Amino acid sequence: MTAMAERISRVAVIGAGVMGGGIAAQVANAGIPVTLLDRGDLAARALERLRKADPAALMSPRDADLVTTGDVDADLGLVAEADWVIEAIVEDVAAKRALYERLESAIGPETIVSSNTSTIPLAMLTEGRGAGFRRRFCVTHFFNPPRYMRLMELVAGPETEPAVVKAVRETADRLLGTGFVDAHDTPGFIANRIGTFWIQAGVNAAFGLGLSVEEADAVMGRPLGIPKTGVFGLMDLVGIDLMPHVSASLLATLPEGDAYRAHYREHALIGRMIADGFTGRKGKGGFYRLDRAGGRREKQAIDLVTGEYHPAERPSVAAVQAANAGGPAALIDHDSRAGRYAWAVLGPTLAYAASLVPAIADDVAAVDRAMRLGYNWTYGPFELIDRIGVDRVIARLEADGAALPPLLEAARGRGFYRQEPDGGVAFLGSDGDYHAVARPAGVLLLADVKRGAKPLARNASAALWDIGDGVTCFEFTSRMNTLDEQTMALLAEALAITASNHRAMVIYNEGENFSVGANLGYVLFAANIGLWGQIEGAVKAGQDAYKAIKYAPIPVVAAPAGMALGGGCEILLHAHAVQAHAETYCGLVEVGVGIVPAWGGCKEMLLRAFADKRRPGGPMPAVNRVFETIALAKVARSAKEARALGYLGREDGITMNRDRLLADAKARALALAEDFTPRQPPAPIRLPGPSARTALMLAVDGLAKRGLATPHDRVVADGLATVLSGGDTDLTEAIGEDRIAGLERQVFATLVRREETLERMEHMLETGKPLRN
Amino acid sequence: MNTPVVIAAYARSPFHVAEKGALRKVRPDTLAATVVKALVERSGVDPDAIEDLILGCAFPEGEQGLNLARLVVLLAGLPQSVAGVTMNRFCGSSMQAIHTAAGAIQMGAGEAFICAGVESMSRVPMMGFNPLPHPDLAAGVPGAYMTMGETAENLARKYQIPRAEQEAFALESQAKAATARAEGRLADEIVPIEVDGETIDQDGCIRPDTSTEGLAGLKPAFFADGTVTAGTSSPLTDGAAAALVTTEAFAKSQGLPILARIRSVAVAGCDPTIMGIGPVAASRKALARAGVGVADLGIIESNEAFAVQAMAVEREMGFDRARTNLDGGAIALGHPLGATGARITGKAAALLKREGKELALATQCIGGGQGIATVLEAA
Repeated sequence: MTAMAERISRVAVIGAGVMGGGIAAQVANAGIPVTLLDRGDLAARALERLRKADPAALMSPRDADLVTTGDVDADLGLVAEADWVIEAIVEDVAAKRALYERLESAIGPETIVSSNTSTIPLAMLTEGRGAGFRRRFCVTHFFNPPRYMRLMELVAGPETEPAVVKAVRETADRLLGTGFVDAHDTPGFIANRIGTFWIQAGVNAAFGLGLSVEEADAVMGRPLGIPKTGVFGLMDLVGIDLMPHVSASLLATLPEGDAYRAHYREHALIGRMIADGFTGRKGKGGFYRLDRAGGRREKQAIDLVTGEYHPAERPSVAAVQAANAGGPAALIDHDSRAGRYAWAVLGPTLAYAASLVPAIADDVAAVDRAMRLGYNWTYGPFELIDRIGVDRVIARLEADGAALPPLLEAARGRGFYRQEPDGGVAFLGSDGDYHAVARPAGVLLLADVKRGAKPLARNASAALWDIGDGVTCFEFTSRMNTLDEQTMALLAEALAITASNHRAMVIYNEGENFSVGANLGYVLFAANIGLWGQIEGAVKAGQDAYKAIKYAPIPVVAAPAGMALGGGCEILLHAHAVQAHAETYCGLVEVGVGIVPAWGGCKEMLLRAFADKRRPGGPMPAVNRVFETIALAKVARSAKEARALGYLGREDGITMNRDRLLADAKARALALAEDFTPRQPPAPIRLPGPSARTALMLAVDGLAKRGLATPHDRVVADGLATVLSGGDTDLTEAIGEDRIAGLERQVFATLVRREETLERMEHMLETGKPLRN
Repeated sequence: MNTPVVIAAYARSPFHVAEKGALRKVRPDTLAATVVKALVERSGVDPDAIEDLILGCAFPEGEQGLNLARLVVLLAGLPQSVAGVTMNRFCGSSMQAIHTAAGAIQMGAGEAFICAGVESMSRVPMMGFNPLPHPDLAAGVPGAYMTMGETAENLARKYQIPRAEQEAFALESQAKAATARAEGRLADEIVPIEVDGETIDQDGCIRPDTSTEGLAGLKPAFFADGTVTAGTSSPLTDGAAAALVTTEAFAKSQGLPILARIRSVAVAGCDPTIMGIGPVAASRKALARAGVGVADLGIIESNEAFAVQAMAVEREMGFDRARTNLDGGAIALGHPLGATGARITGKAAALLKREGKELALATQCIGGGQGIATVLEAA
């Protein structure tokens, strides 16, 4: 095929269940029109569900406009316009084949068709189809929910055209933002093949060794870099009733002698739970449940022996504490029931994974990536083996009398990954040699840059790296990427270094969250011993550092992903441009801890609102809009929503694929560096002063009377109203940004001295949630 | 009155819920002009004889800004000789327009006036786009800027009117309006409005399916522990209304369909924190000026800003509910602030004629603490 569509500009998804709907939503999130088909009005109803899904499936309500729904019988002709048809119907080979037969005549001559099957081999799916169909067919296995789970396993058949694979890859990678992994055409592909084995082993061992579900999950979760849901919590999440289907499908298709067959067991309790509707979070409960009887909310766990629920315990497991100090090796070697459990699950799982390469994927790097992206493991199985120590794993397996897979044998004494002299990483191939882990074009990871490199500058809270082509990268390095005086100090230094030797700077990191804001612990500590001068100094230092970004002689591009809250949001407001990951959650949430944004957040939001030429006339609409956004601590649930709330500007960019964020930000920075002119201060603005404050507080009083604002909410809102109305300025007087920054400091200083504010901070630090006092 | 003044005609647009309703996309000036034009045509008055268009509007800014009245004259295609003045007494604005016309007639300043009112609460919010209250007044006289909901709760407390009674009142208002609409008793006064090729000729606020249980399930709208809900408040509404006010001699000479004669008028101030009680003082003054008592009234139009507000007025005045708001009140029909005064005065006049009664009272409360009242008599 020579004329394969280079660009996929219209997609159709058939099957509007949880997966099909979620895939269609993500296609729409990418800005691609999508047709969603199912029987009758099922697709239309699915779209209604997607609009309301929590967590949100759509990044902006307007994305729903890109979805056209229809009936798979009456409207099948719509697929003729699609460049890519994704089938996500029931996991039944006969049903899928019947659909493909109809699709064969309905699709356009270049339309790509892929299946979202999770278990059925590609070869079985295309049986009976012509060569023309088979060369345009592949498997694209998404994970649930597609917006939040990044893995897409891509399986090409022997007849699939390379151009088809390329088009699907490009679209999935750049537009949908998925992390695709090339998988081989084997049952369960990569992640579910290993994951199902791991879950089975985890359940078997818990029953066998007599662990409670709480203990099992405490061991098989966090200490291993696995989500805290562990095994039982995960089954609750995906649906316990799904497991027998997955097992049956695997047992029907796995090769004879596959280790899963020997591990497979049916547990009577689980069978009863499914039969009685205890299928997990979607059912009456699962291994855990939230008991709401009598108006309380109590987390309960099931007893694996009796099948009765009891209040869930937070088990204190010695093996877990050992792992905190000594890593996963200390966990599996711990002489306790929990330690034995860890090994009873991990040992066979790691050996199983090693036995499957290269059958299920070309190399260990692909397997590790699949488990990281598909199961949210911090380390894939081979990375885990390296962390434990490959020789230790081998010794334990040998002691168990287990057969050693050849690949594991090959890694003896050296490990699956190795650091290359040039700073890169190489993995152990099936040929026994190491091969560099290749990054696709346009993927730049700070982790790769940092490996073996020295920072240009660093202190306890931040570091500055050279990412090539004259661009530096400012990285937050503190716990949770909180911001403090050290951050601000290094920021000033970083700007000076970049200005003298480089062309541009990017603010970026690869933490889970860009930044959750200022270091509250420090503020609270200083407040408790009355170091008011210190606190006020820190506020001023932050304002000065952010102002230095704004007026820097070189362009500064901020590239957030995850949460960018408080000071982490304010830094974005000062950058010359923002290149945000689509999953960026911005918010000025200071009022939640009893203060107002004081690192220029109020100031910048006001200036933006006044600069918006589309705002309604008069002095109040701009003030009112900013007041609402900050007083209600609105957090955007996507980068698109951040645009709507004014945290991002219309010219700020959005990157769908997390791995491409740094490269995109760098490109943006370099583009700005061409003919860069430092910013000039904005024109002074006319704020309405006390009248506006009165107007805003009348509205707040209304909320208080309706029980929607607490007494301290009112105090904080009054402070915010003072800043945003311009203090005691008059409508006839134009004031500059420094005056507003001064008001931020002044109000902050008043609020931070309030007992209720410190209570809010303390509560936030202890519980992670705002206190309503 | 030295020169007898009559209400010669009355018309209004359908009333629809703001922001969601069928009139949300209609500019208020267009809405008012359509009603004014229809009033002139239906009454048969000679347009060249009209002195002035007096137009009430509670938030005269944005699309309701400038001198809205003059713009409506031009939009309605009235002769350029017709003048226009915009008038604001909040909810009492268009009843004030009628009073002003009657007053002008007394001093020989004209014979025929169009007294109209309009409010698009979809397009110009309550409080306006740029609320800038006086800080010292807000601090010193809290009632000055108090929300209407809070004043309603204050009345509920003062008059000890429980929530269930408010809801029974609201239910009755809905039932009366629904019946009136079903029996076609509202059709004559409504001027159809064209919106995007569709003709809107029915009211949109009335909720015939209102039930005791449904009302009881609503959350308090203004106070966490309050008694007033969305169900016992008049809805935010888009609408316009207009009355033709002339000397009796002029009406007769032109052969106009006289509805009623104006007997007396009054306004009065009251405590702004219970502004809803304003009709009491105003009505007492107007009745005294007319030399009649409440028992003499055959028709009463007492505006329902809130159920509790109308009930407090009813209790103080001793209104007979069987003679009050025969075709439903603002809780069911809607309350487009600037338009309500012309509606209830025009309605009282029309009812006087339809029901064959002798005397009518139209009265309403006004934010900031005022009342306004008009006594009409059969002509």
